[in-house]
Amino acid sequence: MGPAARLLRLLLLPGLVLGLSSGQSLFPGRRSQPQSSPEERVPGTRRRLLSLELMEEAEDLSLSLSGELAGLEPECKELLLGFANSSLQLTGCLARNARPVRLCQSCYRHFLRVTEQLENITRAVGNASEGTSCARSLLMSDRLQMIELLSSFFNRTWKTANCANCLKNNSEGLSSTTVEFLNLVNITLTCFEHNLQDQPISLLQRNYTEVCENFNATYKNLSAFYNQMQKTSGMERKSEGESHLCIDVEDAMNIVRRLWSKTFNCSRPCSDTVPVIAVSSFILFLPVVFYLSSFLHSKQKKRILILPKRIQSNASLANIQEKYNSAAE
Amino acid sequence: MANVAKKVSWSGLDLAEEPMGEVTPLLNGTGGTVLPPPRQFTHSSFLRIGRLSTVDLDDDDDVRELEVDVLRPFPNEIPHNEKLLSLKYESLDYDNSENQLFLEEERRINHTAQTVEIKRWIICAMIGILTGLVACFIDIVVENLARLKYQVVKDNIDKFTETGGLSFSLLLWATMNASFVMVGSIIVAFIEPVAAGSGIPQIKCYLNGVKIPHVVRLKTLVVKVCGVILSVVGGLAVGKEGPMIHSGAIIAAGISQGRSTSLKKDFKIFEYFRRDTEKRDFVSAGAAAGVSAAFGAPVGGVLFSLEEGASFWNQFLTWRIFFASMISTFTLNSVLSVYNGNPWDLSSPGLINFGRFDTEKMGYTIQEIPIFIFMGVVGGILGAMFNALNCCLTMFRIRYIHRPCLQVVEAMLVGAVTATVGFVMIYCSRDCQPLQGNTVAHPLQLFCADGEYNSMATTFFNTPEKSVVSLFHDPPGSYNPMTLGMFTLMYFFLACWTYGLTVSAGVFIPSLLIGAAWGRLFGIALSLMTGGAIWADPGKYALMGAAAQLGGIVRMTLSLTVIMMEATGSVTYGFPIMLVLMTAKIVGDYFAEGLYDMHIQLQSIPFLHWEAPVTSHSLTAREVMSTPVTCLRRVEKVGTIVDMLSDTASNHNGFPVVESNPDTTQVAGLRGLVLRSQLIVLLKHKVFVERASLIQRRLKLKDFRDAYPRFPPIQSIHVSQDERECMMDLTEFMNPSPYTVPQEASLPRVFKLFRALGLRHLVVVDNRNEVSSWQWVLDREME
Repeated sequence: MGPAARLLRLLLLPGLVLGLSSGQSLFPGRRSQPQSSPEERVPGTRRRLLSLELMEEAEDLSLSLSGELAGLEPECKELLLGFANSSLQLTGCLARNARPVRLCQSCYRHFLRVTEQLENITRAVGNASEGTSCARSLLMSDRLQMIELLSSFFNRTWKTANCANCLKNNSEGLSSTTVEFLNLVNITLTCFEHNLQDQPISLLQRNYTEVCENFNATYKNLSAFYNQMQKTSGMERKSEGESHLCIDVEDAMNIVRRLWSKTFNCSRPCSDTVPVIAVSSFILFLPVVFYLSSFLHSKQKKRILILPKRIQSNASLANIQEKYNSAAE
Repeated sequence: MANVAKKVSWSGLDLAEEPMGEVTPLLNGTGGTVLPPPRQFTHSSFLRIGRLSTVDLDDDDDVRELEVDVLRPFPNEIPHNEKLLSLKYESLDYDNSENQLFLEEERRINHTAQTVEIKRWIICAMIGILTGLVACFIDIVVENLARLKYQVVKDNIDKFTETGGLSFSLLLWATMNASFVMVGSIIVAFIEPVAAGSGIPQIKCYLNGVKIPHVVRLKTLVVKVCGVILSVVGGLAVGKEGPMIHSGAIIAAGISQGRSTSLKKDFKIFEYFRRDTEKRDFVSAGAAAGVSAAFGAPVGGVLFSLEEGASFWNQFLTWRIFFASMISTFTLNSVLSVYNGNPWDLSSPGLINFGRFDTEKMGYTIQEIPIFIFMGVVGGILGAMFNALNCCLTMFRIRYIHRPCLQVVEAMLVGAVTATVGFVMIYCSRDCQPLQGNTVAHPLQLFCADGEYNSMATTFFNTPEKSVVSLFHDPPGSYNPMTLGMFTLMYFFLACWTYGLTVSAGVFIPSLLIGAAWGRLFGIALSLMTGGAIWADPGKYALMGAAAQLGGIVRMTLSLTVIMMEATGSVTYGFPIMLVLMTAKIVGDYFAEGLYDMHIQLQSIPFLHWEAPVTSHSLTAREVMSTPVTCLRRVEKVGTIVDMLSDTASNHNGFPVVESNPDTTQVAGLRGLVLRSQLIVLLKHKVFVERASLIQRRLKLKDFRDAYPRFPPIQSIHVSQDERECMMDLTEFMNPSPYTVPQEASLPRVFKLFRALGLRHLVVVDNRNEVSSWQWVLDREME
C-alpha cells in the first residue's frame, strides 16, 4: 500500500464519518442476524444493542469503501461479517450468563456458530486460489490477527468452563445427564424458595431443621447424582489429569450446597470428640510405653571390644603409648 | 605394566564375601602351630568376621578416645557408640592382583578390547532399562494401593461423619497403616536387614570400598522394592526416591555379573566383569540411573554418583554413566506415558514431578537474594536439628531396639501414630477451602460445609510426593498459615522419628515436604508483610524452602542443585537454589554432620573420607601398622596355609609372600602378596606341587572368577592329613609387585594411597625390603 493509497484513505475519512451518522439509512437491508430470543426477553438491553449495531454498520461502510483497495474480495467480506456477528452474539451471551453461571446451556449455539464461521474462513484456505487469498487476507495479513485472537479467546473460555463435558458429543444440545441434573437442581431450588417465602422474616433454627428434614431426601438424591457424574467424568478423563465437570453443573451444585449448609445450616455433623481423644491419646501413649519398657527391660547391646595389634611406638606420644602397652598385654 | 593398568582384567579374588554367621564356628587353637617366618608372631585382629556383637573399637579420629578406652580390661564389653568400627565390614579389593595368570590373559585379550568396551555399553543400557522398569513398578503399585487405601478411609470417615463414631475411622486408618508397615518391616527385619533405610549410605560405602554384606544381592532388591511400596502405602513420612538409588545399584551389580548367585543361575555372559573393579564402575552407573529415574534428572544422577558415591572416579566412566541415566529416565517415561494413557508423550520424566514453574510469573529479582540466603540459614539450622535428633534416636535404637520383633513393633507404632497425628490434626482443623473440581485427590469434607474440603486433610491425606507438588503449585491462599505451621511442626518430628526405622524408605521426600511447608509459610508471611506484592509468590518460597531443608539434612550441593533444577525444569532458579543449598550446607556443617555420614558412623562402617584426619600428621606407618605380620613363604606347606586361614584370630585377607628360605632365623625379603580368596581357590583345586602331574590343566583365571563373589569359607574345604604335608607353590598366583611403603611414611601419605588407589592391603617394609609388617585398608588405624 503506497502513499497514494494513504492519501486516498484520508480523502475517504469524511465519508466514513458521514456513514457513521447515517449508517442505518445507508444500509437498511444489512441488519445482521435476527436477534436471538434472550435479548428479546430482556427489554432493557434493547437500546444499547441498537447503538452497538449502529457502530457495527459504520464499520461495514468503512470496509466497503476500503475493502477493495486492501485486496479484500466481497466473499471474504461476507465471511468476516458473519464472524463478526456471531462473535458479537457469543460475547453478549457469555457476559449475560456470567452469574449465576449458565454459560454452557445458554451459549452453546452461539459458540457453535462462531466455530462454523471460523471454519468457513479457514476452510477456504485449501480450496481455490481465490479462497487462499481470502483466508490469508483475513487471518494473517497483519500483526494483530484479530480473528485469531478472538477465536482463541472463545476457545479458551470454552475449555476452561469445560462445557464439552455437559454437551452431547456433537455439541448440539445438552447431554441427558446434564438435563436431568439441572432438573433436579430446579426441583431442589424451588423447594428452598418455597420455604424461604413461607418463613419470611423470623428465620429461626427451628424452622430450618424442618426444612432440612423435609428436603433431606431431595438433597441427598441430588448430591448422589452429582457425585455419580463426577465419578464417571473422572473415569473418562483420567488421562487428562484434571477432570472438572462443566461449569454450569458445578456452579449450580455450589449454590445448592451453600444454601443447604450455610443458609439453612443443615449439614451439622455430629462430632464425637471424647472417643476420638480417648483413642488417639491411647495410640499416642503406646510408643512411650514401648520405648520405656524396651529401655528398662531390654538388655542393652554390648559390643566386644577388640584392640588392634600394633607395634608399640616409642617415637611420640609417650604417655599414650604407655597406656597402650599396658592395655595390649 | 603401565599400559595394562587401565584394562585390568583380573583382580584375583579380591573379596572374600563371607556372609556373617557362616564363619562363626570358631576353628581355633591352631594359631600356635603356625610356622612363623621371622618376625611374625600373632595376628592383627581386624577384618575378622563375626557376629554383630563383635565390633572393634577403633581410635576413630581421636587418640585420646583410645587412651580412655584401652584402660579397660581386654575382652571388653561396651555399649555401642559412634567411635567404633565393626568387624562385619570388609574391604573391596579394587586393586588388581597382577599375577602371572592375569598378565597372560591381558596379553591374550588385548585384541578383543573392542568387544569388552561394547559389552560395557550394553550393560549400561540394560541397567538403565531395568532401573526404569523397577521405578515404574514401584510408582504404579504405590499409586494404586495408596488410592485404594485413602478411598477406603475417606468413605469410612464420610460415613461416620454423619452418624457419629469417628473414633472407628481413626482406628481403621491406624490399623491399616500399621498393618502395611508391619508387613514391610517384617520382610526387612527378618529377611534382609541391610535393605532398611534409604540405602544411600550403604551405596556410598560400597563405592568407597567397603564391602557391606548382602548389599548388592538380588534378595535385597526384592525386599527393598516391596518394603518401599509397603512403607509408602503404610502412610509413613517417607519417600520412594532414595531407595531407587540402592535398587539401581543392585540391578547394576547383578547385570554386570551375568548371573545370580541367589538364584543359582549363571548366564555365562559378562564373565570378564566378575571382579570388584568392574563391578564398582557399574554400581556407580546403577546409582546414577536410580537417581535419574527417581527425579527425572539424568545429569543430576551422574553428578550424584560423582559427589556422593564414587570415591574412585574414572573419566571414561562418565559418558557411560550418563548413558545409563538417560536410558533409565527414558524407559520410565515411556512406560508411564503408556500407563497414563497417552503413549509416547514423553513428558513425565521422573517418579516425582515437581511440575512446571511458570518462569514469567515466578521470576525472581535481586532483592530476593538475601531472603533466599536467609532461608538457606534456616534450612541449615533445621537440618542440623533433624540430624542431631535422629542421631540420638538411632543410638537408642542400636542399643536397645536390636531384636527384630522389637523393630517390627516400633515400625508399626510409628505407622499408627502417624495416622493418629494426621487424624487429630484434620479433626482439629477448621480450615475449609472451596472444592474446585477434582484437583484434590481425596477431598475430605469432615466438618466443613458441603462443597468445601478440609485443607489440612490434603496435606496428610495424600502420599508425601503429591503433597510436595501441591505445596509448590497450589494458588496463593490455598493454605491457612496456622494449618501449615502445625503441619510443618508435626511432620518434622514424624519424619525424624521415622528415618532409621527398620523399613526401607527414603528421606528425600519428607525433607522436601517439611521444607516446602515452612517455605510456603514463609512466603505467605512475606506477602502479608509486603501487602501482597506480586513477587512474593508462596510457591517459589516453598521450592526454596524445600531445597534448603533437603540441603540441610543430606548436605549435598552440586548434585542436589542440578536435581532440583531438572526436577522443576527451570534453569531460572538455578542460581537461587545453589545459593540456598550452599548456605544450608555451610550452616548445617557448623552444627552437625550430614545425615548419611552420620549413619555411616553410627553403623560403625570404616569409611575413608577424602582427607586424612588432621590429627594424624604426627603418626607414621610404623605406628599404625598391624603387627606382627603373618607371612607365607613362596613355597609353603599346605598345613601351614590351612592353619593360618582357619585361625579366626588372624582374619586377614591378604598375606605377604616372602622368599622361601628354609633358614627361619633369617630375615626374609618381600616377594609378593597373595589373597585369602586365592589361597582358598588353590586349596579347593588342590594345586599342590606334589600333584602337579595329576592335574590335567593349569588353573586359569576363570576358576578364580567362578568362585567370585562368594568364596567358600575355609572350613568348608577338606584337606586330608596327607595333603597337609604337601607343598604349594604360590609364585604363579601371588601379585609380585604389591604396593609398599617404607616404615617412616607419614600417615596422611599412607591414607592417600589407600584412598586414591582403593587398596586393601599395603605392605610396610623396612629399608632392606624386608616385610616388617603390613596393614589393612579396613583397619582405619590411621584415623
